[in-house]
Amino acid sequence: MSEQDETGEAITILLVEDDAPTCWRLHDALVKAGYEVRSAGTLGEARSAFGKAAPRVLLTDLRLPDGHGIELIRETRQRFPDTEIMVISALGDEESVISAITVGATGYLLKDAFPTDIATTVRDLVAGHSPISASIARFIVRRTQNSAEPSPGPVLNTAKLTPREIDILWGIAKGFSYAEIASHLGLSRQTVTGHIKNIYRKLEVHTRSEAVFEAVQQGLIKL
Amino acid sequence: MSEIAAKTLTRPRRRLIASRLVPYLLLQALIVIVTILGLRLLQPGDPEEFAVSDFSARENGTMHAVTLPHFTASRYSLADPPLYTAAFTFRRSDVGSGWSVYLPRFSNAVEVAVNGVVVLDSRRDANANRPDRNTPQIAAIPSSLLRDGANDITVRLFVWGPLKGFLDSVYVGPDAALRPAYETRALLFVTLPVVFSAWQSILAVILAIMWLMRRHEPVYGVLAVAMVLGVVQAFVPPPLPPATTSRLAAVLLASAPIESALIVVFGVLFFGWRWPRYGTLLFVPGLIVFVVGLIGGPPLPRILFLVLGIPTVGLCLFLMACVTAAALVRRQDAASFTIGCAVTIVLVCWVQDMLTVLEIVSNDRIFVSRLSYSAMLVAIGAGLTWRFARALNQVDSFAGQLVARVAEAEERLKASFAREEARARAAALANERTRLMRDLHDGLGGQLVSIVALSERGHEGATITEAARAALKDLRLVIDSMDDIGGDLMLALGSWRERATAQLRPHDIALDWRVATPQGLPLHPELRPWHVIQIVRILDEAVTNAVKHAEARHIAVSIETLDDDHGPYGVISVTDDGKGFARADNCASGGQTARGLRNMRSRAARCGAVLDLSSDASGTCVRLQLPQRFPDSDAAAG
Repeated sequence: MSEQDETGEAITILLVEDDAPTCWRLHDALVKAGYEVRSAGTLGEARSAFGKAAPRVLLTDLRLPDGHGIELIRETRQRFPDTEIMVISALGDEESVISAITVGATGYLLKDAFPTDIATTVRDLVAGHSPISASIARFIVRRTQNSAEPSPGPVLNTAKLTPREIDILWGIAKGFSYAEIASHLGLSRQTVTGHIKNIYRKLEVHTRSEAVFEAVQQGLIKL
Repeated sequence: MSEIAAKTLTRPRRRLIASRLVPYLLLQALIVIVTILGLRLLQPGDPEEFAVSDFSARENGTMHAVTLPHFTASRYSLADPPLYTAAFTFRRSDVGSGWSVYLPRFSNAVEVAVNGVVVLDSRRDANANRPDRNTPQIAAIPSSLLRDGANDITVRLFVWGPLKGFLDSVYVGPDAALRPAYETRALLFVTLPVVFSAWQSILAVILAIMWLMRRHEPVYGVLAVAMVLGVVQAFVPPPLPPATTSRLAAVLLASAPIESALIVVFGVLFFGWRWPRYGTLLFVPGLIVFVVGLIGGPPLPRILFLVLGIPTVGLCLFLMACVTAAALVRRQDAASFTIGCAVTIVLVCWVQDMLTVLEIVSNDRIFVSRLSYSAMLVAIGAGLTWRFARALNQVDSFAGQLVARVAEAEERLKASFAREEARARAAALANERTRLMRDLHDGLGGQLVSIVALSERGHEGATITEAARAALKDLRLVIDSMDDIGGDLMLALGSWRERATAQLRPHDIALDWRVATPQGLPLHPELRPWHVIQIVRILDEAVTNAVKHAEARHIAVSIETLDDDHGPYGVISVTDDGKGFARADNCASGGQTARGLRNMRSRAARCGAVLDLSSDASGTCVRLQLPQRFPDSDAAAG
């Protein structure tokens, strides 16, 4: 069985992970689910893999031997807007995940996730369901609240979020399912999913100057 | 013993007093000599070649020849005053300008007639008749009156006491020759007193304002009153018999004893002593003059003034000299020295005036004490102003020092506050780290150790995987609970739900999540990470028990907020459909379950929560009732 997209072609995944056992584990789980997976251990390998053809999905670790995954995500986002991007994280901590979201990633995948969960997450992603975890939602809504003093962690511009979107994030942060949120807010489940996609888009910084600013903020570029 | 001590104490003190007083007294003696010499030298000169001195005087009906200056009795009938007659020679040929008659000094008043025509009557000018001022008079003689050759001049001297009548030489000659002498005397004895009085009145106003603003320093007020009295004396017109002036004006004119007593009060206060109660006696003579004069009317004030007032003034000056001498011995400062010298000068002038009055010294009857006294007052006023300015400077520098000190103290306070804050922060951090260490030790540490042990015994992967997953889960729990959730436990439970769902999915167990209200649980601003860790561990334990030991198929978590008299509180229940831990106890893993239950209870107790466990064959219910307020300190942890 092989996973295919709307056009019937096999879905290609570029997996960027420097730790070999972790790489094998994810690779196996994805191949077993029918995806076409290419692996890269470094930023350089990942860039040369892009040279051939753009993958449908990019799964990347953040800390790589020859650079930072954030750079790869930003490049990919600019060159291949259609590619879905996810961060591979050991702990799913907000610090790294939010940085990735601001440059174009959509959610994260835990390195120790069960194989079935790995496959499900990627399938949802390709299907257009952008998953958002409770802890990430919590981080975002906490940022919308306390504006008095600069909070620690990555810079996040939450000004563009609508009250409705913030309500949805509150629901996710408190552990409610999409269906529960939809019924609390009087929406359809599909609308909630759409809102979440919008949230991701709004958190992303688009202009080049914004990106540079973000990078300086995160210490990725030294002036 | 004490006498010896007293003697040894007083002896150096006496020596000190002597060493200060003797030079001062010597200096004062020198000042006395200088003053006497100065008075002699400054005696205004008159053009003696025009003096007319040989008169025939008619007093009380008898005629006799006199040589001016001449003293008469102190009182005459105003209708029949002493009449002085003389002759002078006038030559029309050698005269360019007009002639005048000039009288340098007389008391109390004169009427001058040339060839029988009155040319001058000093009674018209009230101030000219004051015995204490040495007012000169000059009058032009109409040329038509003058005859070539011998001319007659008659002077009527009006005397109404209290002093004897006095007539100095009369000068008749060209106006150009006489006028400079007149101008000099007028400047010294008419203009200068007015200038001093004006000055005194200004100082009186300034001192009165100072006293009004600083009531606790009566010294300014006393001096202001003294100066006002002096000014009043200078400007109240003296009475001119036979017309009688008001009684009040008369007594005000005789207020010099009160004025001098006030000056003594000023001296005592100025040099920092307290005014002794018996010192008020000094005012008695002045008040007697005042009261008797007010009741009796003229001429009583004048007579009393002469008898009581002038000696009182002398006594006051002497006391003032003593006060300044004592002050100088004690303080050795410029103010006491200056005032002391000024008082000595005034005292010398007063003695000279007394001698003049008593005709012991012939001085053309020029009184100088009033003039020197005014000068002294002006000096004192200047000194006070100087002292005031110096006090202002001191206040300025004191304020500056104060500002600097306050800034310094503020700086120190800030530093100590920062230190205190840093220490408190460090203590809080250390506390937090201790808890974190304990949490990691409880969970992660133990699990990693068990992974090591399992690997060493060659266990198969599955068991190791389980331990490693537990370790990872615990690490995530600790990291997650460190996040700021703003007292909303629901935010921590949201993450936990995700982790628990992921944990249950491989076992094919559904996690039923029921939240009674969208808010879920009440907010707890006092909620700390370690509370969150304990609560989540209890829930973890409940879920793990349900999966591992009770073999449940469904697990339901329900979250609700209840309310009692003390306010809302949260309840979290974990219910499963397993076989219950009562039966599980019989199995091999029974001991482990018991330990797990004990752990749950102790964790609940540390958070102030109440744990209810009910278990039977149809399932287990773990009910965790949260406190209304989470405890600050980890009391049960110790």
